[in-house]
Amino acid sequence: MIRKRVVITGLGMLCGAGKDVNEFGDALLNSSCGIEPLDIFDVSPFPSKIGSQIKRYDPLDYFDRHTAEKLSRSDQFGVIAAGEALRDSAVAGVYSPYQMGVSMGGGAAGMFQGEFWLKSHLDGIVERPSLLRGILPDQSTTDIARTFKLGGYQGTVATACSSSSTAIGWGADLVASGHQKMVVAGGVDTLTMLTFAGFNSLRVVDPAPCSPFSLGRQGISLGEGAAFMVLESEEDALARGAKIYGRVLGYSMAGEAHHMTAPDPTGLTVARVMRDALQYSSVDASMIGWVNAHGTGTPLNDVVESQAMKIVFGERAAQVPLISTKSMTGHCLGAAGAIEAVATVIALNRHIIPQTLSYRGRDPECDLEYCHSGIQKTDCKIAMSNSFAFGGNVTSLVLSL
Amino acid sequence: MNNLIKDIVITGLSAISSAGIGISPLKELIQTGSDAFTEIPSDVLGAEGYFWGKATGFKVSDFMSPMKARKMDRSSQFAVAATGLALQNAGIDMKLIPPERVGIALGSGFCGISSSAEFLTGYFRSGVEGLLPMIFPNTVPNAPASNASIEHGFKGPNVSLIQRFCSAETAFLMACRFIEEGRADVMLTGGTDELLPIILKGLCALGQVKRSSVPFGEGCGVLVLESAASARRRGAVVMASVESVRSIGMLVKGHEEEAVDLLSNRLEECSMVSFSGSARDVPCFRSLAPSLPTIDTGNHIGRSLGMGGLSLATLVASLPEGERGLHLSASPQGPYYSVAVRGGATV
Repeated sequence: MIRKRVVITGLGMLCGAGKDVNEFGDALLNSSCGIEPLDIFDVSPFPSKIGSQIKRYDPLDYFDRHTAEKLSRSDQFGVIAAGEALRDSAVAGVYSPYQMGVSMGGGAAGMFQGEFWLKSHLDGIVERPSLLRGILPDQSTTDIARTFKLGGYQGTVATACSSSSTAIGWGADLVASGHQKMVVAGGVDTLTMLTFAGFNSLRVVDPAPCSPFSLGRQGISLGEGAAFMVLESEEDALARGAKIYGRVLGYSMAGEAHHMTAPDPTGLTVARVMRDALQYSSVDASMIGWVNAHGTGTPLNDVVESQAMKIVFGERAAQVPLISTKSMTGHCLGAAGAIEAVATVIALNRHIIPQTLSYRGRDPECDLEYCHSGIQKTDCKIAMSNSFAFGGNVTSLVLSL
Repeated sequence: MNNLIKDIVITGLSAISSAGIGISPLKELIQTGSDAFTEIPSDVLGAEGYFWGKATGFKVSDFMSPMKARKMDRSSQFAVAATGLALQNAGIDMKLIPPERVGIALGSGFCGISSSAEFLTGYFRSGVEGLLPMIFPNTVPNAPASNASIEHGFKGPNVSLIQRFCSAETAFLMACRFIEEGRADVMLTGGTDELLPIILKGLCALGQVKRSSVPFGEGCGVLVLESAASARRRGAVVMASVESVRSIGMLVKGHEEEAVDLLSNRLEECSMVSFSGSARDVPCFRSLAPSLPTIDTGNHIGRSLGMGGLSLATLVASLPEGERGLHLSASPQGPYYSVAVRGGATV
């Protein structure tokens, strides 16, 4: 089967560092950190009281009251960001509805509303059952498809923090294989008490803004948001005169089969997945300009990822910046991979390598280039984006201008 | 979408359901026209007369040590056990096959919800002192596939999917594609689902648990997909070959006929149809297969989001040599799937 070249013809973004693609792009250029004190729920019992919340968010800025009440916070984010990408691509009505699909990665989804239901249930109070409507992440996928009349493929990847990068890789494959003409691919997730309390209970949340690859880092900062990209074949996009932001060259994914929460300390599986992604993309490692890391800021993750870079890039590893946009956006869990993939495409278009923020000092175990001192200008055309997850899921995307 | 599949065969099956452990008890249940529903204890919903397809015959101690079982949620226990049984059924010894060439794509229904509720209940009742970190890793829907991969050593593609009643079919499609692309030689696929009181309570609040409707069920159905070349190399017994996977996300007004044409999938050549999810309630599906023998596992063991793996496995196990079977699955708001398989094809 001849694989079609897959291009990106629309982008959408909504997160704590920027409420649309332009705002987020400016935040990347200005190295603005979206991690601030949280007020979405009571965080006072926890050592960490910060995160990257979408502040001053009013659903009525985007939806009428009836629609806003029906959609969970997660469903709203998904429809907003996918809508921005679809409008940007001007793809509506171009293809048969069954040739246009949605590939989404999700996480805790409508748990934010579900928690109100559970708390009330435990207190013996009868709450609105509609709070449970979006409890599973596939609801956002359905809502996106329904809102934009996309009758083709509908699927939700649910591999925790690698969900949405896998959803993009898979969405690109649906187009490359000719099974769909257009796929809007990305991810969505929201801050929830479940994940905030959960990661705090595992003692992997940094009380200060996360500082990936820095000395003294203590873990993640949580975030929320959504990001999507519109994927089409190059020939179709060119034929309709669409703006092309870049390409999804390929992806790879695997399970480490090691541990539910701890990464394999050797970094071998991560390196294998990165190499496979390059191979599926027909790209040599020497062509990669920089890597948008999973880069959570946990002591172990950052060492493992640095180790994998050395295996993949060999002597050149120190010349391939490994940066973490999570230092801006927080760790957006199910949406993280998509937010980072879209951030990578925006950065490629603006010819920059983003800065890894909140530097605290040099960690001898993280001895590569992390752009801690500021953004770098670049003319490189190809970058990678890594995502890892609970359960040992690893995904790597290869993206280009 | 119409994904025509070549050179992918099914070499192993397993089932854990309210019918018991294995495909045979499930087939027998269907053949006798009976069901394996039991009454939901009245304290769960505060009323009597409700039923569920609870996998009461599943004894986790038959499959793993108590220490290991304690760390896993129920759907992970199902997945670990069912993938182990499927490997056994396929005659696959993981020591004899590169682990990077074996992957898993699993439909994950309500997986993680009960653990999430349990974890949060600790917090809501006792504050941070009530948080049990050991539960938290099981709150993710990919816990079943990941636990199975850790237990059996699958280092190939690893993915969990949720898409309403078609979660298992969505995973099946992806598993086929990974073999087609050469990302794996063997993919374990299907779906898993657990049914615990808090899930029932939530479904009841949403008005989805009724005395008159088909009960919800739980269990895990796994199929071993393999490239024909891999099956040939190791002399595997081929139970069926996959011919095509077709899907649409939802019916679009004014384009209904186009959808029915796509999903009918050469139905006239089929000798058997299986229904999953709400497929039997979908008018276009009902009209597609009015006179063929049908299997509807939901009527016997219950329905749920990840139960399509059990339906598919039952269809494969029931297909005579050379006969074509069609698996139809749907959810009320979409998606819709039609999967064609041919029994006992040679490789």
